[in-house]
Amino acid sequence: MAMGRQKQIGRNQNAVSFRNKERTLGPISNTIILIVLACLLGLLYLTQVTKTNAYGYQINDLQEQQTQLASEHEDLEVASARLQSLDRVQNSETAKNMTAVAPTGSVRN
Amino acid sequence: MNPRNQSYPAAPIVDGPAAAIQSVRRIKLSYLILMAIFAIFALRAFYVQVIRYEFYHASALSDQLKQYEIPARRGTILAYDGAQSVPIVLNEKLYTVYADPQYIKQPGDVARTIASVTGGNASEYERTMQDKERRYVVLAKKVSKEKRDKILGYKYPGVGAQEQTYRTYPQGTMASQLLGFVNEEGAGKYGVEQELNGTLAGTPGELKAITDVQGVPLAASGSNIESRPKAGRDIKLTIDIGIQKQVEDLLAKGVKIDKAVSGSAVVMDPRTGAVKAMANYPSYDPAKYSEVEDGNLFNNDSVSHPIEIGSIMKTLTTAAALNQGVIKPNTTYYDPATYTVDEFKITNIEEDGGPGTRSIAQLLDLSLNTGAVWELMQMGGGEINTKARTTWYDYMTNRYMFGKPTGIEQSYETEGLVPEPKDNGAAINLTYANTSFGQAMTATTLQVAGAMSAVVNGGTYYRPHLIQSTSDPAGKMVDKKPEVVAANVVSGEVSKAMVPLLQYVVDNHKIKPAFDQSRYVVGGKTGTAQIAKPTGGYYENDFNGTYLGFVGGDQPDYVIAVFINKPQVGKGQYAGTAAAQPVFADIGHMLINNGYVMPKH
Repeated sequence: MAMGRQKQIGRNQNAVSFRNKERTLGPISNTIILIVLACLLGLLYLTQVTKTNAYGYQINDLQEQQTQLASEHEDLEVASARLQSLDRVQNSETAKNMTAVAPTGSVRN
Repeated sequence: MNPRNQSYPAAPIVDGPAAAIQSVRRIKLSYLILMAIFAIFALRAFYVQVIRYEFYHASALSDQLKQYEIPARRGTILAYDGAQSVPIVLNEKLYTVYADPQYIKQPGDVARTIASVTGGNASEYERTMQDKERRYVVLAKKVSKEKRDKILGYKYPGVGAQEQTYRTYPQGTMASQLLGFVNEEGAGKYGVEQELNGTLAGTPGELKAITDVQGVPLAASGSNIESRPKAGRDIKLTIDIGIQKQVEDLLAKGVKIDKAVSGSAVVMDPRTGAVKAMANYPSYDPAKYSEVEDGNLFNNDSVSHPIEIGSIMKTLTTAAALNQGVIKPNTTYYDPATYTVDEFKITNIEEDGGPGTRSIAQLLDLSLNTGAVWELMQMGGGEINTKARTTWYDYMTNRYMFGKPTGIEQSYETEGLVPEPKDNGAAINLTYANTSFGQAMTATTLQVAGAMSAVVNGGTYYRPHLIQSTSDPAGKMVDKKPEVVAANVVSGEVSKAMVPLLQYVVDNHKIKPAFDQSRYVVGGKTGTAQIAKPTGGYYENDFNGTYLGFVGGDQPDYVIAVFINKPQVGKGQYAGTAAAQPVFADIGHMLINNGYVMPKH
């Protein structure tokens, strides 16, 4: 019964029908894909460059901060040195209120 | 039912073969147009990026590429304050306030406002800003950050401020001639600043970078070049600011009292050659160097103004004769009070009395010219001859290092003069007789201090120096070791013998207040020198006063050299005693009373 239902294949008859199922893209599609890929690559490049440059700005900001702090440090050093200068100490109120004592250490008695 | 026989509604016939061909053509045409557009872009890109590369590259770089010089921080200068280090030269950022007159609408108002902040001359500012043909005029220099912020806070169009680094001197005028200054171009001039400019200045860096419109370097640019500046090295001087300050004050006081033209003083540690104080008077303010009218004030006379040193040389002549073994510390000799050399008479001052038997201590105390000549004669076997001259020349130049620069870290150091010993047919014996008491030769204050140090420290000549240490690239201060220039200048025995001989001189010179020799060793010798005319011969009424001595506890701790030029006290002829000796005494007492010298154990 089952055999009876099978399709009879005669001589010189193809047992299978061949059908080409591959689909190829046309030139426009290829071009568009290439353009899209190029754009993606460009985008990738730009994001990386932008990211790197953003770091550059951070570096620049930090360098400016460093310079600023170094400058403040130098200013403070100058101010500190001026406050400790001998002329300033000599002319200070504290020094003026001191009593002069005649040195005797070197003098022969 | 056979599907093949199934009937479907007929599709409308819209395309025939011709339409299909046309459609394909349109697609091809679109494709060609697209390709052509791309080709145009590609060709244009090729033209711009390849053929015209140089032009566009240069054009782009001119806008985007910025090149900056990154200035190097100039090294600071430190000094001792007792055991501590204190800065005496630092860097300070100040501002130059400028204006573009073309933007200034009301010069009068702007000038008055800015002048109220800077303390400058408003009418001068106004006049400057009325010159509309100029685009940049400087209104004020060395303006502080606070004042700059205040000026810029007014937001006057055309008014700006530019940062500039200046040297600043927290101790004011202290040691100005020793330090020198840095000019507007950033070059060190005079003193340490000039001599060690290469060490202090550092190396500027460079930044070459593609920047954004605000001038910020873009990190993604591969062509950025950045070389960091190498900061100048810090240096620490051997100077002690406590000693320096008081020596300057005492010297200034002495020069004023003496009504002298100028003076210089050096305090040296004889055990190392380290200069603890080096002062000159008159002086100047290095922060206002541009206002100095007399350029001679920039010179450090202690190293650049050699003079005939006078009788302080007798100390060195005596040490040489002792070291030659031709005299002993307790030798006595007959002093004829006059010698005739090359038909010229050499005599002493009236107060020294006539002929008589003298000791070496008396020779120094009375400052006998004939005594020094006699010592020179002993070096020649009893007369001034080639042997005496050659021996004495060797002491002066190869042991006391006269006639050559000491090599101290100072610009414009001069070597002084020592006459050659060979017979030149021009009264060479007289010349050499004169050198034995400090005439017919010249030396600087520093040179005599260096020579005396060698005589009293056991006989080693250390190179006089001002630099104690220099920072290495990591910022650590590295000490400079004292450099021995000559050993065995005199023997240890001679060195020891010289100390009591010179103490004797101090004790007999009625220094007030007198030094307590039971607790300290204080010795020295005065000198009064004639001043040579540029045209030959000597001035009759002008003399220089000099003093060369030491102060210490168990041994000489400090050598002190004082030169007073043309003092009016002591009738000139006693310039050493009247003018230089008091300054030496003041410095000696100061060193003792301030604890720089510890008493004998």
